[in-house]
Amino acid sequence: MSASNRYNRQMILPEIGEDGQYKLSKAKVLVIGAGGLGAAILPYLAAAGVGEIGIVDDDVIEISNLHRQVIYKSSAVGKSKVEEVKLMISELNPLVKVNAFAEKLSGKNAISLFEKYDIIVDATDNISIKYLINDACLVTNKPMVYGSIFRFQGQVSVFNYQNGPTYRCLYPDENNNALNCEDAGVIGISVGIIGMFQANEVLKMILGIGEVLSGKILVYNILNNEQQKYDFDKSNFQLISRESFEEKYNKSEVEEIKFESILDEINNDSVLFLDVRNAHELPKISLKNQIQITLLYLENEIEKLDKNQKIYVFCQSGIRSKIGAELLQKHQFKKIKSIAGGVLAMKDILKEEIKI
Amino acid sequence: MIEIKYFGAVAEKTKCEFEKLSFSEELSLQKLLQDLNEKYQFESLSFSVAVNQKIVSKAADYNLQTSDIVALLPPFAGG
Repeated sequence: MSASNRYNRQMILPEIGEDGQYKLSKAKVLVIGAGGLGAAILPYLAAAGVGEIGIVDDDVIEISNLHRQVIYKSSAVGKSKVEEVKLMISELNPLVKVNAFAEKLSGKNAISLFEKYDIIVDATDNISIKYLINDACLVTNKPMVYGSIFRFQGQVSVFNYQNGPTYRCLYPDENNNALNCEDAGVIGISVGIIGMFQANEVLKMILGIGEVLSGKILVYNILNNEQQKYDFDKSNFQLISRESFEEKYNKSEVEEIKFESILDEINNDSVLFLDVRNAHELPKISLKNQIQITLLYLENEIEKLDKNQKIYVFCQSGIRSKIGAELLQKHQFKKIKSIAGGVLAMKDILKEEIKI
Repeated sequence: MIEIKYFGAVAEKTKCEFEKLSFSEELSLQKLLQDLNEKYQFESLSFSVAVNQKIVSKAADYNLQTSDIVALLPPFAGG
């Protein structure tokens, strides 16, 4: 049989065998993110014979992705990532069923997607989605395989495995502002190594072998090859019910707006631009009606703002500003929008404006 | 002498990945964190704290022992 030929070298491992290969063929794994981590995880899961792989990402391939997202060809720049993944896997291992979701993970689709899979892999590059994945995993009772990078260091863990500790038990402070790859820089090897650790945890769970990284976070430094494991306990600080999930994620939607579409308002006295970055963050932006309140202090200094004023919130890349806008909306601010892409998107437009 | 390890964005602030600290009197974990914060101005940087490879509450009432290893672990976001 071609399948047993294909998998022979792993099936002769006593830990896998026919039973293990059968378990792999019945497993359903959902990978969120087809970026650097996903590019390492996906081909290995597919090659090993994981029966069904779902992949969620609404991005298209950019030339600046190729140095680390090594499954994509230069000729695929501009194409949908999930469609390219589907093509890649069908050539690598046609026995695998691939479900491509060219959409952004949100409070609206997370639960219905997660319900159809056994294991959820977090291969994303921003913090707020990690909390969303964690919370949706809690609601649907699925394990979450976490991986993340900061420059030459990476972290790996498995959350909510057999009711074990979660991402919130490790990092309870949701309003943190960790940098993603675009802001911090990254090389392909670090995401490759961490993605491989994640794929390994997935296979161990499916096969029931080894020790799953549950209640432990592995921290790896590729520059000195130091590797540490830290234990953490389950805390009761958790979002568990479907109701609280809906309340948190599907209640007030923050409206995002492109900076170029509000250029005629930058000198308008009735409009306020709110910079929620830290005071020292560069580049400095100075618009006529602008105030700087770091996201962390926004709630305390909310008195400084007028609930009825039109406020455009911005930060460096458009993530913290959404959290800030959400916070203002919770406090009954009526006319709040978040500037998409943040200062990174604004600075080029402002440069052009000044030229004119 | 205790050892303190720094990771990710925290190590960028401290400009070192570890340091050793001697103390003569009693030193609580909270006081250590307060001192480090004054020294390095972590400001809005968020991190979890481990003592001897175990994540503990930052508010934990714990007096450091001379051989303890403390680690400051921020969440990472890249991928």
